[in-house]
Amino acid sequence: MLTVTGVSRSFGGVYAVRDVSLSVADGEVCGVIGPNGAGKSTLFNLITGHLAADRGEISFLGRRVDRLAPHRRARLGMSIVFQAARVFRGMTVRENVMVGMHGRTNAGFVSAALRLPRHRRDEREIAAEAERALGRVGLSEWADRPADRLPIGQQRALQLARALCARPRLLLLDEPASGLRGEERERLAALVEELRAGGLTILLIEHDVAFVTRLADRVVVLDLGQVIADGPPAEVRADPLVLAAYLGQAS
Amino acid sequence: MIGRVAVPVVAVVTLALPAVLDDSALAVYILLGLAAMVTVGVSLLMGYAGQVSLGQGAFYGIGAYTAALLTLGGVPPLAGLVAAPVVAAASALVVGTPLLRLRGHHLAFATLAMQLILLSVAGQLEFTGGDIGLQGIPQFGVGSWEAGGAAAYAYLTWAGLALVMLVTRNVITSRPGRALRALATSETAAASSGIPVGRYKLVVFALSAAFAGLAGGIYCYYTGYVAPGSFPVLISIQYIVMAVVGGLGTIWGAVVGATAITLLVQGLDGLATLPGMPSYAPTVLSYAVYALVLIGMVLFMPRGLVPALSRRRKSLSERV
Repeated sequence: MLTVTGVSRSFGGVYAVRDVSLSVADGEVCGVIGPNGAGKSTLFNLITGHLAADRGEISFLGRRVDRLAPHRRARLGMSIVFQAARVFRGMTVRENVMVGMHGRTNAGFVSAALRLPRHRRDEREIAAEAERALGRVGLSEWADRPADRLPIGQQRALQLARALCARPRLLLLDEPASGLRGEERERLAALVEELRAGGLTILLIEHDVAFVTRLADRVVVLDLGQVIADGPPAEVRADPLVLAAYLGQAS
Repeated sequence: MIGRVAVPVVAVVTLALPAVLDDSALAVYILLGLAAMVTVGVSLLMGYAGQVSLGQGAFYGIGAYTAALLTLGGVPPLAGLVAAPVVAAASALVVGTPLLRLRGHHLAFATLAMQLILLSVAGQLEFTGGDIGLQGIPQFGVGSWEAGGAAAYAYLTWAGLALVMLVTRNVITSRPGRALRALATSETAAASSGIPVGRYKLVVFALSAAFAGLAGGIYCYYTGYVAPGSFPVLISIQYIVMAVVGGLGTIWGAVVGATAITLLVQGLDGLATLPGMPSYAPTVLSYAVYALVLIGMVLFMPRGLVPALSRRRKSLSERV
């Protein structure tokens, strides 16, 4: 589904990501772990299109996407849950989730201003899909509250609902567990497990090794911008290089 | 909720006022309505989409010059009035393409510069009448009907304002509107939801320019002349003060803010033109007051009048 081949990106002469290759198969949950500064976020931004690669190729659904703008990649079926709280301020929880449907609907400024039939058709469809997504992540009863007042765990769930609203082919999660307390983390893990059971392909970038090894079918380990291991969680956990990378930063 | 009470009340008052006001009061009433029209656009641009423009006065001017030039050239006034917002929006698309790559105060200064450039160009060119501007613009009319007095312009203005408010409300409560509100928080997250951020910023800039252009078109028929001096930078700042005072990101806030500031400035003008006041008093006073009002609002009512009042009402009703 997603193939990253030989991708590099440097900042001021220092490689953040160097010659990284990885692939995510249909229906797989692939985890990317690595110590701080390993290049996880850079890799994530290269895949989503918020950073341009210096070298290398990225293909999604058999199509090269490394020159496409982020919103075009989103429309092809990549949905993102960001690490930082990226809920839209000044909007309700429901409206936030409705934004996720943007790429799947068409009503523009003219149909909206004149309330044309297309606007009404799209609004109905968007509202129904948002309702469903809210239900899936358990936010239905919070739907009409201001989104920025939700606790952080629910903000993450909200982002997940927004991402699901787009009916993604690939769900990208950037450090979804960061900042969450035990119970919130548990709830999020259960949600991801549910999505995996539903057959959704997921790329999970995460600092927390336990969280990833629990959820992922396969784990890719980054260190200093390069892939140092790639395999099933149990195998990767025992890899001496991986142990060294994590112990090396004395965590 | 505010709308349900306010709309009928405002509609009745709006329709009744032109009949009872005298010509000088009507002049204030018309200029207020025109300012509100531009301010609704500013509120849409700044409050909902999170973009700044210190150059809305330029689009007001473009609308006025467009309508004036066309009508003086023999085009029917109705066509001139339709062309005013269209040309203003088209200009916004052209200048917005490079400018909207900037953010925050860079964008503010760039739009300000745009207006200054436009003003000096209009003051130099022959076909815009140079510094003297264009005079003898025919009255607005449709077919054989001609706008006879100030009351007709008052109705035209407030009908235009109603149209602008309706369009704005329809836009913000829809798919494109949610996209605009989303990109105001995070362009990254908005793009990742499939929103073409650059294009949307351009369209909302053009839409706000169209509102200003429409107001400018009405203005030129009402006053009968336009000159660069009619569109000083101060006017652009005034729109921002109005939007902030009323409450950014509320449609009614634009109207309330425009009303509050217009009446305030009107009172000050009375004060500044009292015998014994220096000739620069009006300008100095209005700049000073804009500054003070803006600082006061940001300190004590950062969300503006309308949100502050509606919250107070809500908390009262909850207590009851």
